[in-house]
Amino acid sequence: MTGGERRILHTDGVSVSFGGVRALVDVDLDVHESQLVGLIGPNGAGKTTFIDAITGFVRCRGHIELDGHDLSSLPPHARAQLGLARTWQSIELFDDLTVRENLAVASHRQSVWAAVRETVSRPLASTTAMDETLALLGLEPLAEVLAIELSQANRKLVGVARALAAGPRLLCLDEPAAGLDSRERAELGRRLRSVVDAGTPTLLVDHDMGLVLSVCDHVVVLDFGKVIAHGPPSAVRRDSKVITAYLGSAAAELTDPSLESADEESRAGASEEP
Amino acid sequence: MKLVLLFALLGLGTGALIAGIALGVVLTYRGSGIINLATGAVAMVAGYAFWSLKTGFFGFQLGTLPALAITLVVATGVGALMEVGAFRPLRTASPLAKLAASLGILLTAQAAMLLGFGTTVKAAPPILPSSAVAVVGLTVPVDRFILAGAVIVIAVGLAALYRWSRFGLATRAASENEVAAMLVGLSPNQLSMVNTLLASLVAGLMGVLAASLVQLNSTTLPLQIVPALAAALFARFTSFGIACAAGLLIGIAQSLMYYASTQSWFPTDQGNPLPGIQQLLVFLIIIIAMFWRGASLPGRGELVERRLPSVPLPERLLRSAVIAGVVCVVALIVFPYDFRQALITSLIGAIIVMSFVVITGYVGQISVVQLALSGVAGFTLSHLVTDAGIGFPLGPIIAVAVTTLLGVLVAVSALRVRGVSLAVVTLAAALAMEQFIFVNSTWGGGSGGSPAPSPHLFGVNLGPTASFRGLDGDQPSAVFGFLVLAVTLALGVYVANLRRTSLGRRMIAVRANERAAAAAGVHVRNVKLIAFGLSSFVAGVAGTLYAYNFGSISATRFSALTALGLIAFAYIGGITMVSGAVLAGLISTEALFPHAFDKWFGISGNWALLVGGLALIITLRVHPEGIAGANYQRKQRRRAAGRGSRLKAWSSRWRAEEPTATSEVKP
Repeated sequence: MTGGERRILHTDGVSVSFGGVRALVDVDLDVHESQLVGLIGPNGAGKTTFIDAITGFVRCRGHIELDGHDLSSLPPHARAQLGLARTWQSIELFDDLTVRENLAVASHRQSVWAAVRETVSRPLASTTAMDETLALLGLEPLAEVLAIELSQANRKLVGVARALAAGPRLLCLDEPAAGLDSRERAELGRRLRSVVDAGTPTLLVDHDMGLVLSVCDHVVVLDFGKVIAHGPPSAVRRDSKVITAYLGSAAAELTDPSLESADEESRAGASEEP
Repeated sequence: MKLVLLFALLGLGTGALIAGIALGVVLTYRGSGIINLATGAVAMVAGYAFWSLKTGFFGFQLGTLPALAITLVVATGVGALMEVGAFRPLRTASPLAKLAASLGILLTAQAAMLLGFGTTVKAAPPILPSSAVAVVGLTVPVDRFILAGAVIVIAVGLAALYRWSRFGLATRAASENEVAAMLVGLSPNQLSMVNTLLASLVAGLMGVLAASLVQLNSTTLPLQIVPALAAALFARFTSFGIACAAGLLIGIAQSLMYYASTQSWFPTDQGNPLPGIQQLLVFLIIIIAMFWRGASLPGRGELVERRLPSVPLPERLLRSAVIAGVVCVVALIVFPYDFRQALITSLIGAIIVMSFVVITGYVGQISVVQLALSGVAGFTLSHLVTDAGIGFPLGPIIAVAVTTLLGVLVAVSALRVRGVSLAVVTLAAALAMEQFIFVNSTWGGGSGGSPAPSPHLFGVNLGPTASFRGLDGDQPSAVFGFLVLAVTLALGVYVANLRRTSLGRRMIAVRANERAAAAAGVHVRNVKLIAFGLSSFVAGVAGTLYAYNFGSISATRFSALTALGLIAFAYIGGITMVSGAVLAGLISTEALFPHAFDKWFGISGNWALLVGGLALIITLRVHPEGIAGANYQRKQRRRAAGRGSRLKAWSSRWRAEEPTATSEVKP
């Protein structure tokens, strides 16, 4: 880990149970400033559950801290306002708003009085922050298009842009590459890298080993709700536990698994847990 | 004590009717995922059909059995019409669109019966034996037992059909997951058709059998849908047994309430027993059912294409407002008195529909109770004047404030409830408020209505009796028209502009996806509360204007059925746009369009309702966005065609127009 920098996200013993099923067991995970952290694991490993837990959509035990603020007991919208932004695997845009309006909803900070005043406020002023976000993801030409009219790849990007528009302290992306072809995925990887380099630390959940290992600074591997490995991509790539989890024990006996095979495996199981 | 038992047994009659309609509701829901508000209306149609065949209304009289047979054929025919005309074309539409379609059927059927048979109550010919049996020393009419027995047999039969037949298995599979059912070769259309036909048959049969126990008119039977919905809620729209039992029990409870109202200890209202207790009871039962059985209905794996009509940004708002204002001012002066009255009624109608634009159009919650909230404002205004001497302008201000507060309180209690369930709860609430508060002569207006003297400001009369009365010099005065017009314009610009504000965007975000809105930092609960508050505010303003408009205020203006009609008109006009609200105001009951048709062509208001019901179904099928929305899209397409690619048209248009729009809205 790049130890000296500021710790943005810190989780300590995050556990989630659904009835008798333990979806997450004592997950400790840190994201530091200007870091792109990848969270990977096979189907049902608990990756999405982890994002749901830290963003407040699933009840969990353990401690969650965002840039020094304790989030553990806050409702989802309050966590969002403290700077925790997320996307969904099934992209959940506001279909009847334009791309720009989608971003505007997220970039809004509210108070009771602001809400009252806003019932008569002036139309949306084009803020520079929003334009920058659109530019960063190459969405400027689509700014005034209704969300429902976008292509799948662009919906993904708008989902990321909306999460970014709030100027979050941490960005959590749930499977942003699912359903994209390899060219679009490479493009997405480049965009994500530029987002992180522009100053937004990011937690990236994905199946796609290829994407995660090529763009992330640090990788955490989950299996059956437990962290089985973490470290820089080069180390995780060779970790025998990871290879077993992903490809079965037979594959672990091969010394150097190629990235392509991992890639294929992930695409074969493209539909993840709900 | 014996009397209690007697009344409980007498209640089996109404109970059987409620149970029968509830069974129909459950059947339709399981078959097609539609909450069919028109199930009671099917019972009504069957009741009238049987009555006319037995009494020779069509020129020939039939015996009981042939009349019953033909009636059941008619009921099934109505079912087939509903299925083919409304439910099938809307099978991939949103649950709210489906609900609205069934509302269209209800209104159409009701208007048709009004046109065919008038408003007088028909004495339905008894079909069951009128003898009595002795039960533990009581003489109870035997028909109650036959009715209850019949509905229990039907419920058991349906349960058996669903459990053991292939058809039942297929329907259960399709209601669990429609897509998967299609993939294994089941036809949801066929299943839905059979279920709707069965539902119509059951409802029609119970309508004929029980019509002689309840009144056969165009209001009572269709509105039995409300207690039936309560029973269906207990059954989670799934279990026939529970629906049947709950229906019977609600009938018994209502009958016991009636018995209680004959007792000396029962609270009275100016000498008469307190009205509306039965409706209040049903409302409370629905609340209990919601909390006990959960607010959400069992979902279906369906192909749903789009949730709700889109909410376009308003364009050239101020220009439209100025044009509309000038046209209306001229019209108010030159129109003859009756058209002036119709125009004023249209404007107030537009205001009340604007409250639907906020709550249903922007936030996606169907609230039937908004018109009842208008009523609260109207009666508060009237009582402030008559009981406390508080007149204009303080009276209406207090009345609107009270209404807004009440609306927020309703919202607080309804936060867990959304979508179709909210429509059901608020429908029951509207009915309870109408019967329990407005009909009450102390709190509401009684049967005669409650006075609302004309508003005066600094000694100037602003009401319908003011001295400046347009060119023909008759009441209502044009001055009152100007007042209503000013309020309508102000609220219209406000509500339309709301769409452009940050709050408006968050409302639409909540409507589109509550979960994603929360993740984007939107406080979903607050947005809903504010929306309910704003909507109730608008409704309250409309209520005070209604009161001044007629100089007095009565319960019928705020009835639940009127509210359903207004929602229908709102959908036809375009429920997401203020221009749609204006259109809805123009075509609503007693407004300009119906009045013109009545005056020039002799087409009565009931025809307008009939056309309105049909138009609602057609609108949902052809232009789900309503007339205003369709108009907007046509303009949009024309523009896009003029400028090459659609995308280019979108972006260049808004870049060009945004600054002018901004400068126009400055207050």
